[in-house]
Amino acid sequence: MNSMMDMMTIILLFLLKSFSTEGALITASEELRLPESVMGEKPKKELQVSITKEAILINNNQLMSVSDVDPESVLIQPLYKALANVAKEQSKLEVDVGTEFTHTVIIQGDQTIPFEMLYKIMFTCSKSQFYKMRLLTVKKG
Amino acid sequence: MAYKPSARQNSDELNMELDIRPVMNLMVVLIPLLLQGAEWVKLGAIEINAPPTKSVGNNPAEQQDKKEEEMKIGLKLAITSAGITIANAQALLPSDSGEGPTVPVLDDGTYDYALLKTKLIEVKKLIAGKGYKDENRAVITAGNKVEYQDLVSVIDNIQTYEEDGTEKVLFPEINFGSVIQ
Repeated sequence: MNSMMDMMTIILLFLLKSFSTEGALITASEELRLPESVMGEKPKKELQVSITKEAILINNNQLMSVSDVDPESVLIQPLYKALANVAKEQSKLEVDVGTEFTHTVIIQGDQTIPFEMLYKIMFTCSKSQFYKMRLLTVKKG
Repeated sequence: MAYKPSARQNSDELNMELDIRPVMNLMVVLIPLLLQGAEWVKLGAIEINAPPTKSVGNNPAEQQDKKEEEMKIGLKLAITSAGITIANAQALLPSDSGEGPTVPVLDDGTYDYALLKTKLIEVKKLIAGKGYKDENRAVITAGNKVEYQDLVSVIDNIQTYEEDGTEKVLFPEINFGSVIQ
């Protein structure tokens, strides 16, 4: 009984240490493996743009597939329209109820996406008023 | 007034085991609760602050830009499949062999982050304290096939360095340049 008690106390302490109140920010999948990094601060909940191997998502809703991205233009039109709408809504909210429009976007990209894709995404984000970008990574170790 | 209970007869009760069952019950409830809320994967966010898109034809602002440019180092890191090149607008840092990228890829095709770091520390020591406004800034550009993971690893490796047991900043402010064709 006493040894069981010790064990439980240790488990309890360990779990308390790793306790998070923020809830899950991402849903990991085979299509979206975040890159590993040692640095970076704790992410806050903001607008999320995810680039998986096959699709682009805004706040976990699929917007378009990666193969539909125009290879000629740097601006991704559908994404730009969607983000511009969000920006409009958020700045309207800022005027109406006073929730601050942070201009922040969290970019979740798969490890294997090429730089060209990332560059297009970032360009599109900054064009549509989301110029504070956070690259979401998984912490190593 | 009641008699004091006999100490001699009740002394064995002091050896009784502590009743921990209520505590156990509590633990059994707490553990699943905490398990459910535990954070298994630690996430980090790398901050990138691109300047808001500039409005064209704003003359006073442009003039101001030119004044600021005088004291800028404009360090650039170009990542290609052959390696990483360190450069700025005026000069390009040659590699040890004299040609190719400053930090060529290793034999197994991975980037040589240790060499990149030593090269950048040299650069940092040269420019530190000379009043450059962007002495902590590095602009990263890459070929269009460079993978996101390699990019993040490069960012990881140019943040800080250690010297004499203290941690010093290398180039923690990251910007991105356009794709190298």
